[in-house]
Amino acid sequence: MKRALLAVSNEIRKRLLIMWDYRFNVFTQVVTVSFIFVGASFFIEGGQLDPGPLASMLLGYLVWFYARIIIMNTSSDLMTEAQAGTLEQMYMSSTSTSLLLLGRLIALLISTTMIVLIPATFLALLLGIRIPLRWEGLPVLLITLAGLFGFTLALSGIALVFKQVDALADLVQNALLFLTGTLLPVSRFPVWLADIARILPITQGIIVLRQIMLENTSLTASWSNGSLIWLVVHSAIYVCTGLIIFKWCERMAKQQGSLGHY
Amino acid sequence: MKQSFEKCLAIRIEDLSKVYTGANRETVLAVDHLTLSVAPGQVFGFLGTNGAGKTTTIKMLCGLITPTSGRICINGYNVQHEHHQAMCQIGAVLEGTRNVYWRLSAWENLMYFGRLKGRTGRILKSHAERLLRDLELWERRNDAIRTFSRGMQQKVAIACALISDPPIVLLDEPTLGLDIQAAQTVKSWIERLVREERKTVILTTHQLDIAQDLCEHVAIMRKGQLISNQPLSELLHLFQQDCYQIRVRGHLAQPLAHFPPLTTEVEGETTTLSGLFADQDELHSILTALHCWDLPLLSVSKQEPNLEKVFMHVLDNGVAINREEKKREASLISRK
Repeated sequence: MKRALLAVSNEIRKRLLIMWDYRFNVFTQVVTVSFIFVGASFFIEGGQLDPGPLASMLLGYLVWFYARIIIMNTSSDLMTEAQAGTLEQMYMSSTSTSLLLLGRLIALLISTTMIVLIPATFLALLLGIRIPLRWEGLPVLLITLAGLFGFTLALSGIALVFKQVDALADLVQNALLFLTGTLLPVSRFPVWLADIARILPITQGIIVLRQIMLENTSLTASWSNGSLIWLVVHSAIYVCTGLIIFKWCERMAKQQGSLGHY
Repeated sequence: MKQSFEKCLAIRIEDLSKVYTGANRETVLAVDHLTLSVAPGQVFGFLGTNGAGKTTTIKMLCGLITPTSGRICINGYNVQHEHHQAMCQIGAVLEGTRNVYWRLSAWENLMYFGRLKGRTGRILKSHAERLLRDLELWERRNDAIRTFSRGMQQKVAIACALISDPPIVLLDEPTLGLDIQAAQTVKSWIERLVREERKTVILTTHQLDIAQDLCEHVAIMRKGQLISNQPLSELLHLFQQDCYQIRVRGHLAQPLAHFPPLTTEVEGETTTLSGLFADQDELHSILTALHCWDLPLLSVSKQEPNLEKVFMHVLDNGVAINREEKKREASLISRK
């Protein structure tokens, strides 16, 4: 346990140091978050910026933004590290790679939270959007992010074998923006598209988060109506599948001798 | 008995093979039934031309490539089955990569890699300070690696490999791309690691002068196979009788085909040929050829062979290794 904590805290420290070194990039990302949200809302609401529907949209958008940064960074970080030779050093550590990747994800979550919170606060104040801060939202967000972790594990595994997966990561994060109910609730999708959307990593998380944060539903009620159960099952499937794919790809890369290739 | 024998060895490689399968299912045998052992507390040179299988072997030692068959033990720990314990025994600087985070400072890199290997607190900090002071980087410990010269970056990479104080250090081309001064610093540092800290260093390099100065034992690979594996002094001694320098007046009208590769130097009207000869007959044949070309012989003298000449000769002609390997293992067992 002590070793796991050390590995995780080590990754967090490194991530924050590197993030500080790229602070101009981080600032640009903050501006991008705000810009895309205002632009998308303006078009979807037909030129209106009504705070009511915007609250639901902002909530979905923030979850998508987490997904975007995590998906884009996980695979590109892996390739940058392969190029730098530090990926091979990571594999030579006495700590398991899954644990180190978990540490990296937590570090990424902390840095992403910092990037997301600033524009979220700014947008809420600017557009008069009110999202009640309820603690029940936190476990739901964490379960959603766990599913996302499973998804990025699979993507990282694919990156180890096929190397350049930036285009795939880009495709996935864009698909998530339009297909997970981020901007429009899934209930307004055609049935066939809604069925596809519900399989994607963050869709169910956004649905449950909206119930809890905006419709004042309790965790118990969400569990009773099955939406929270489905979220837990959904995330568990993603984590297990992601872990299996990652381990399989890792084994393949070691057999091919391509672990450090880029 | 077998286990205790393995524990007294720093590295034991048994019947190791690696076959890569290409995109169109063609196979490449990168390492072919390699068996060797490395005794602790020495610099072990791992030599060979490009594509000989050195880096694949080093990466299999580091657990980065899965062998097709065979077994590797590091300080008695099987790399495949006791990966974590085996990894605690080694620190590595791999070829062609930077091995450290360029965005972080030297100090931050050492702290990160130290914690990655499970080291913490005061012990980690004092060890990092000692390494940076020894490598003359202490004054610049807070500067980002990207601002360092190539030599300084390589020093930091070596320091990071040593931060957890591993008993075995793998250095794959540690002096590649370094200027003479930086290469000299790295060389003295390797000497010190073995002399003062009794570490085992596995060194792969194409700079054979460095290998000759540092290594007590060398293994030479060619096309995935081990073609020589013995103490450097023994290897050089084997060729002591066969190394000659021939000086003639005039210039060679044509290259010396059908003869071993010889170094040719021309100075004014004098041509000097030097290299290793398989036997006295070969020396005699070349002297006859020079005589036929009307090149007056100035002198024939014996020379001390250097590793470069021996290396070239071994690559062309090979050396029987099995007898030497068995003899060395037997001596290790009896010492135990």
